Amino acid sequence: MNKRRNQLSLAVVAFVLGVLVVVQLRAQEAGNGLDQLTPTELTVLVGNLNTRNDQLRAEIATTQAELATLQASDARGDTSVGQLQADLARVRAWTGLDPVIGSGVRITVTGGLDAGSVEDLINELRNAGAEAIAVNDVRIEPNSIVDGPLDGLLIGNTKLGDPFEVSAIGNPETLTGSLTRAGGIVAQLAATAPSAQLIVTPVDMLRLPATTEDLVPVHGKPQL
Amino acid sequence: MTIQPASAPRSRLRRIPSWQITLGLALLVLGFVVVAQLQSDGPRALYASDERGPLVETAIGLQTQQDALKAQILALRTQISDLETKGQGSVAAATDLGQRLQDARLAAGLIGLQGPGIVLQLRDSEQTVLPGDNPNEYLVTASDVRTVVEQLWLAGAEGVAVNGERITTGTAILDIGGTVLVNSAYLAPPYQISAIGPPDLLDRLSASIGFRTFVQNRAQAFGIHIDVAEPSEVSLPAYAGTITLRYAQPDPSAGAGGPAPAGSTPP
Repeated sequence: MNKRRNQLSLAVVAFVLGVLVVVQLRAQEAGNGLDQLTPTELTVLVGNLNTRNDQLRAEIATTQAELATLQASDARGDTSVGQLQADLARVRAWTGLDPVIGSGVRITVTGGLDAGSVEDLINELRNAGAEAIAVNDVRIEPNSIVDGPLDGLLIGNTKLGDPFEVSAIGNPETLTGSLTRAGGIVAQLAATAPSAQLIVTPVDMLRLPATTEDLVPVHGKPQL
Repeated sequence: MTIQPASAPRSRLRRIPSWQITLGLALLVLGFVVVAQLQSDGPRALYASDERGPLVETAIGLQTQQDALKAQILALRTQISDLETKGQGSVAAATDLGQRLQDARLAAGLIGLQGPGIVLQLRDSEQTVLPGDNPNEYLVTASDVRTVVEQLWLAGAEGVAVNGERITTGTAILDIGGTVLVNSAYLAPPYQISAIGPPDLLDRLSASIGFRTFVQNRAQAFGIHIDVAEPSEVSLPAYAGTITLRYAQPDPSAGAGGPAPAGSTPP
């Protein structure tokens, strides 16, 4: 009787232990993800995901229309030169292989900003929806990195000088609002680089150059 | 007063039944687990579960939707690419256009890439936070991910992806809480940064002052884990996001690929 009670106690403890171990492991697994975010951060994340998903749905609609046009040409036995040209122009403009025009903002930077801060500014412009960015004469590509010391900033082999200009095409109100909001990048840089001055100007029409880089991979091959 | 012989405790230990030892050990482990559970729940107890629950569910649902939307875009782009290749026929102009389009898509990151390269993994520090230190310094941030991506480009990479998100001309890398958004996709740590480039990409990266400073400032100072692997081949996925321009348009005054004055305002 006594032995039976002991076995029962042991079984209960083992069961509780098992449950707790599983709960702990699951908590740790989930702890690397969304469980670490506060409600405010989760709200920001949900907002970001919603915006991105809307953009993706719009892209699907555009791509479906493009596919339908191509399928119709194919059914008629036509060559698709016009479609190819339109698609090529779109991809080249987006990539930075061709010059583009449009409304946006110009940021004039004087007084010296370190390379990391200029990269922060470019990152913020991308986040705010900039469709094309240039720093002075250089169209910004993923591999265009601002480097060098404070008094000798470089992008590739191009020296930036003081002052220099960052131009971005996109919604002027959104870009200006995002840069100049309280706690935004301009306010942050005013605190971390007090000697620098950033003047943000909405512009109706900007013209950004094409990149001079050859962006087609040499070492990487297309995945089939 | 009775003096116990030295062998008494040992003989008493022998008398303890084995089930009691097992139970004792089990209870000890149980105690550890309960404390670990309470500690892991501690800071999060501030965020009422009834407030967070629906938000977490919404975020997971939206991320799942995003994955499906991206898969749909990639499938549509593949269909378009196939049709364009098929439609070229014997028309020389179309063949040339098709090749230029392929090159432009490769340059844009709209086609998956494979080739020689390296993979870096960034993981949070496990070191104890020193008094006076900011605990966030011990976590991998968007700034860390961006620094590594930038150093890879400077070292000659021709394609980079973070946890399966291809870095393109429009990619922003942001912090939300202790996690990172890339292309507005939520990425959970650890962060794997894959890059394709010249065969000596790792040597170039290791030799760069910028990367060495990063290792010094983050790995050596705060214990951030930076692991590097050089597999025989690295694969990068295609960018599955939007390439639709709403505000920018090709400059009609310049021929395709022609130069234009930088940042100038047309009259």
